[in-house]
Amino acid sequence: MTANTPTDPQLQHKAAPTGDEPAGSSARAAATGWRANLASSLSPRNIGAVYVLIVICIVFTIWAPSTFPQMATVKQILDDNAITALAALALIVPLSAGVFDLSFAYVMSLSGVTAAHFVAANNMNVFLAALIGIGAALIIGVINGIVVVVMQIDSFIGTLATGSLVEAFISFVTGDNSINSVRLDGTFSQISQGSIGGIIYPVFYALFIAAALWLFLEHSPTGRRLYATGFNPNAARLADIRVNKLRFCGLLTSATLAGFAGVMLASSLAAGSPSAGTSYLLPAFATVFVGATVFKQGRFNAWGTIVAVLMLGTGVVGLGLVSAPLWAIDMFTGVVLIAALSANAFERNSLLRGRVTRFKWLPARWRTT
Amino acid sequence: MSSGPAVADIGARPQALGTVLRVNELSKTFPGTKALDDVTLEVAEGEIHALVGQNGSGKSTLIKVLAGYYQADPGAKAWLNEEPFDLADTADSRHHRLRFVHQDLGLFLELGATDNLALRGEFLVDPLHRIRWKAQADVARQLLGEFDLDLDLRRPLADATPVQRTVIAIAAALVGWEGGPGVLVLDEPTAVLPPHDVTRLLEIINRVRSRGTSILYVSHRLDEVFRLADRVTVLRGGRVVLTRPVAGLTTQTLAELMVGTEVDAGYRAGLAAAPNRPVVLRARDVRGRFLAGVDVDLYEGEVLGVAGLPGSGRNELPYALVGKLPGATGQMALDDSAWQPVRKSASFDIPLVPADRARESVIAEFSVKENLTLSVLGRFRRFGLLRGRSERQLSDEWFNAIEVKAASPDDLITTLSGGNQQKVMMARCLARDPRVLVLCEPTAGVDVGTRQAIYEFIATRARAGLSLVVSSSDTGDLLALCTRVLVMCNGKVVREIAGDEITEHALVTAMEETEQE
Repeated sequence: MTANTPTDPQLQHKAAPTGDEPAGSSARAAATGWRANLASSLSPRNIGAVYVLIVICIVFTIWAPSTFPQMATVKQILDDNAITALAALALIVPLSAGVFDLSFAYVMSLSGVTAAHFVAANNMNVFLAALIGIGAALIIGVINGIVVVVMQIDSFIGTLATGSLVEAFISFVTGDNSINSVRLDGTFSQISQGSIGGIIYPVFYALFIAAALWLFLEHSPTGRRLYATGFNPNAARLADIRVNKLRFCGLLTSATLAGFAGVMLASSLAAGSPSAGTSYLLPAFATVFVGATVFKQGRFNAWGTIVAVLMLGTGVVGLGLVSAPLWAIDMFTGVVLIAALSANAFERNSLLRGRVTRFKWLPARWRTT
Repeated sequence: MSSGPAVADIGARPQALGTVLRVNELSKTFPGTKALDDVTLEVAEGEIHALVGQNGSGKSTLIKVLAGYYQADPGAKAWLNEEPFDLADTADSRHHRLRFVHQDLGLFLELGATDNLALRGEFLVDPLHRIRWKAQADVARQLLGEFDLDLDLRRPLADATPVQRTVIAIAAALVGWEGGPGVLVLDEPTAVLPPHDVTRLLEIINRVRSRGTSILYVSHRLDEVFRLADRVTVLRGGRVVLTRPVAGLTTQTLAELMVGTEVDAGYRAGLAAAPNRPVVLRARDVRGRFLAGVDVDLYEGEVLGVAGLPGSGRNELPYALVGKLPGATGQMALDDSAWQPVRKSASFDIPLVPADRARESVIAEFSVKENLTLSVLGRFRRFGLLRGRSERQLSDEWFNAIEVKAASPDDLITTLSGGNQQKVMMARCLARDPRVLVLCEPTAGVDVGTRQAIYEFIATRARAGLSLVVSSSDTGDLLALCTRVLVMCNGKVVREIAGDEITEHALVTAMEETEQE
């Protein structure tokens, strides 16, 4: 006899926990829960990129024992990749809501050039100039929102188009000349070149933004709704989630964060380069997608993205230390991306077909199903 | 392997006809569960063999093992036309004699019928490797010829009706089959079809059988089993309960065999009509896609059914009432509120359980808990963040209340059977403590046992004062639950049937008659 007397949750809520079934099951879950959780969170399925990172560290420690395992190397890895991390973090929110923002790289150039211009030409307060740069980025975010959400143009094409317009605008205004001035070498360069304990500020900005994104996406109602929007927009809409508003805000977020990353980039260059952001387009997307396979299966997430940035960055710095040729870096990036994603895809496929027991290497009672 | 193994003895049935497909000692173990346990299946030549069982009974697993998608545990034996074959080998020649139409049909909706059929067989090309479209169209016409399908073969299948698509999927599965013994496996082909199309599809299936093809027919709908099948195999908990001729069985006995306990196949909630109670929801002159001016009065504690053929507005009215039908116009009021345009009726906070679970309600990447609490997340907000413990508490309460068959609320929702997913979707809506709940196709793809649990759950809620609108293409839902049924046609309510007058006969005739008027 099943399901003949469905209990009223309100009643159950008021009653003392006399129902032995739920109590029993939760006790059971608690007993085995932490081991299963530990096992599943250490599985290559969840943190493949972390293992790849460890392997990379071991390889270079053996390859370059005198130069690689040094504090200086760690600092270099962090310093070199802080802006890539900022760029990649900018993409997490719109991607979680199911929209691409391909314009972010051009927006980075725009905000950098704008901020540099006001400092160099008007000798404006550095922070005010940075805010104006981010404000310019925000305007592009609004335009993206109008194109993608209001006009319902596919986000991949729509933001590619706005990106192209931004690039045209930058070229038109700057005449493709980089903005250089001694004024840029002062406080303006300090906002990204200044350091605490030898680690430059952008590393801390990136960690702060990652922590904020983590709280927002995984521990706030809006973050949960954002994921729902990205996974199944129809279902989200019918569950009274304001899909369009979330997507619009997602594009505003990416533009704002890209604007911030752009100012950091200009500051680290101490110049307003009209095409500085473009080279971040592919690395940012690559890392954010690798990041989605780490920690939170299939969800774009902040710490996963940070791990992915570190994984690629460590390899690149290591290759530099062993004086590898230039092509080796691109090759390494390609190989690592495929390796990090394939371990994941392999296990997922096996699970789907029921051919492999998950966590075979664990004792049976620790496995989860 | 030697051919001609000893004939397995299934029950007392003599081997009158040749056996086309035989599977013995088939087991399939997933981590933690045994999905199939020593299953024996025999399909005789030229028979329609029904395979029934609740969700989670192992039906789909069995089909997937036969199709080579899952690998059976070692020890399984299988014969096709008395020749042994390896279940694990997907490249095996058995595919010439064992064909599948899976539930999602596997068609390319962007392409026309001609292309879809050609993709299953081969494209006819001239020496320059250009496709000979005329010849290709002739082939398609010939393949579809015997099914009298009124369809432009070049138009994308997205424009075709569901029954046309199903027929094309059957024809596509049979491409290159010259007739003769073999088995066509149909997995829930009628799941999304309206009643009159079901009849048509069953005729077509009979026609395929008359060519000498055996059919293994998987279905939730027991009435179809009686209309169509010669023999039936009942699965329960991964085991074969029995295989026997359909003659001599009744819906009731078959349902009991599937569930394992006594089940009233004709469940009736027996809710009292509620004309004296206050009106909870009023809608006036609702118009929109497929709606041409509908008035609705919903009383407190009433379960109001909406019936009608596809295109009658039956499917659209619920969406309009919750403000989710783009372009809908009309006025609505809840309790004593002022009249509002229906497009703003989202402010009335009426939850909807949509018709298409996979596309419109389940977030497949979310856990049961995350799916359940999706609509009430705002309640757990503190300083902008989620209070994880409160969320967990609410999800645990509902998880136990709706008796979801899953290990924990943290399991992925897709690991649940369709019926259990549906329970979670209802819990998502009920967690909002609504005044009115709108349900579309509440038991689509839900097995018999869970179906009854859902009916009882709804009835309990209605007795406690919740008003419900239930729109369904399954008259069983309306019969089981409704105190009043609106029959729709051409976007209008054309009949209202109440109380004891709600019978299968009355509903079906009302829908069909009004269609012809």
